[in-house]
Amino acid sequence: MAAKKLRRAQLSQEMCERLRRYQITTCQEFLCLSLLELMKVTGQSYYEVQKLLCKVSRACAPRMQTAYEMKLRKSGNPSSAFLSTTLHSLDRILHGGVPCGSLTEITSPPGCGKTQFCIMLSVLATLPISMGGLDGAVIYIDTESAFSAERLIEMAAKRFPAYFDSDEKLLCMTRSIHLYRELTCCSVLKRIMSLEEEVISKKVKLIIIDSVASVVRKEFDTKLQGNLAERSNFLTRGASVLKYLAEEFSIPV
Amino acid sequence: MEMGEGWDEPSSFLNRTGKRNIQRWKGKTASCPASECPVGTAGVGTQVGRERRQPGHHRTRQEQQPLGGHIGGSHPAALPGGECPLQPLPRAHGHPRPRRIRSPRLERPRRAGTAPTRGNGSAHVQRRHPPEIGISREEALEALQVVRQECHGDAARTAGGSGATRKCTALELLEEEQAQGFIITFCSALDNILGGGVQLTKITEICGAPGVGKTQLCMQLAVDVQIPECFGGVAGEAVFIDTEGSFMVDRVVDIAAACVQHCHLIAEAQQEEDHRKALETFSLENILSHIYYFRCRDYTELLAQVYLLPEFLSEHSKVRLVVIDGIAFPFRHDFEDLSLRTRLLNGLAQQLIIIANDHKSAVVLTNQMTTRIGQSQSTLVPALGESWGHAATVRLIFHWDNSQRLATLYKSPSQKESTVAYHITSHGFRDVQPPAVTHSAEGTELNPRKRPRTEEEKQQ
Repeated sequence: MAAKKLRRAQLSQEMCERLRRYQITTCQEFLCLSLLELMKVTGQSYYEVQKLLCKVSRACAPRMQTAYEMKLRKSGNPSSAFLSTTLHSLDRILHGGVPCGSLTEITSPPGCGKTQFCIMLSVLATLPISMGGLDGAVIYIDTESAFSAERLIEMAAKRFPAYFDSDEKLLCMTRSIHLYRELTCCSVLKRIMSLEEEVISKKVKLIIIDSVASVVRKEFDTKLQGNLAERSNFLTRGASVLKYLAEEFSIPV
Repeated sequence: MEMGEGWDEPSSFLNRTGKRNIQRWKGKTASCPASECPVGTAGVGTQVGRERRQPGHHRTRQEQQPLGGHIGGSHPAALPGGECPLQPLPRAHGHPRPRRIRSPRLERPRRAGTAPTRGNGSAHVQRRHPPEIGISREEALEALQVVRQECHGDAARTAGGSGATRKCTALELLEEEQAQGFIITFCSALDNILGGGVQLTKITEICGAPGVGKTQLCMQLAVDVQIPECFGGVAGEAVFIDTEGSFMVDRVVDIAAACVQHCHLIAEAQQEEDHRKALETFSLENILSHIYYFRCRDYTELLAQVYLLPEFLSEHSKVRLVVIDGIAFPFRHDFEDLSLRTRLLNGLAQQLIIIANDHKSAVVLTNQMTTRIGQSQSTLVPALGESWGHAATVRLIFHWDNSQRLATLYKSPSQKESTVAYHITSHGFRDVQPPAVTHSAEGTELNPRKRPRTEEEKQQ
């Protein structure tokens, strides 16, 4: 939205030309200028500039929805609101399970079972909706190389013997779990940025990043000057992209 | 500063263009005791912008003077001795000569004997002239007003004309403030330290660590602003601008249901007609349809939305609350240029103040916390820097204390600093324990955390 070109904001051609001379081509750059600068750049009066601002803002502003519409939309599709974890007490306190459309974070000291939990969630996501799953693919970004495919098959077979009765079904399930091994912060960020296409093309219904802290801690030493800012920069950028993916596609992350 | 006694408020003449100096110099005789001073009786200072420099001896006001300098042609009367003790001052380094923007109109009226003004009627140029052209101050003021009216007749005034007269006496302001309602938070301790609740026409900022309850309070306020007036609310609508994506509709449903139930209990106890009528419109669907939700993904969308907000508010004139949940989030990443960030934030703060005043609504912002690393220890402070701290009128900081949530009123123009504890239940934002007020037979046993509203009702 921010990178929308001014041309598409329905500004006149000559205005766009004029602004391009000052290297202002996107809505973001336009809105970042102060009123005085805008007047200088566009050569218009104060009131005209305000009208221009309103026009450009209307091109970028988000759509309004009332809370009631949101509720109706959610209640219209109750099954897709949560991914049940099949642990009943956990599901109860989570009000149904891992919520779709928002980020969920799992933290614990080492060895408590985070990766096992993630593997189980990936199995659950591939199950059909009738069994409480999401019937979709899973994207698993692994930074610690802790994912074991054999463990995945063992879990699936032992947990749902009735469903995974044949090898075919197991292989089909494993085919829908896409694993990416990333070992540096940059590659993780690049991978997250490129996820949107994969989500659409492969019909992904769950994104797991295991784990975000390990790769960040390896690269950024907070005692050094400036690293704190860079680290939070990386984290917030990644977080905002993930949030966007979660909300756009209504999938748990 | 070496000054003679004839100078009062010496810092006043540090004004770069030297406009205000004349006021201070009124009534001072200006004859220079120095025998060779060519300035002599220059009246009340020399005129600004005139080429009356006496080079080499006195600097005119056009030159920037550092502290201790001597501006203009007049001397204080009480200089001892016959020698002018002041030496010609070197031009202060780095101070540019102030450029006077003179409109051509400045010349014409002067010749006609009336007071000169700038195109937009700046009165300060005027004030030094009365003694020179020999008319009284009142006559000068009249002439100025006539000229001003002519200028302002041409300039197109937009709807911002209401902003032109923002002055009123303190008495009118007092009446306005007393008649104003508050948005309650359902936690009576918090309402008490805020002086009744979240105030309209003011910006309130809520800072806190993640998970402490900022978004919960925002959702609670979005519901509470819609409480009908007979129950003590302001009966308004709410705009919720979300930048973090933490708005959960299901939670708002829970909070709204608890609020409606609370009002039902009061209505049953009081058995008044207008309560019952108000309750017909105060239903879950209505509450949810009057919360206008915007999801802004980055700071450009947030800026665009705030530019469009006045228009939106004039269409929906019943809005009494604007919540921006997470004003820090879009500004904390992707910003290499911190000065741009400060400028954008200041512009945002100004617009929000205008919105709060013009539409009589409360603006609530949520901020994050950041760690300030000091020499020996690090403290949690609100994010976005020091200059942002001036934007909000009222600042609340939420923090933990061994699994008890506390709210501290950190900055307020009318209330003192204090800390209270609060609780977040399934019904929303509540007190920690029922306050020690007598529980009348209002069914408070159903929800012991509910704030008793008997006293408020009696005051209505």
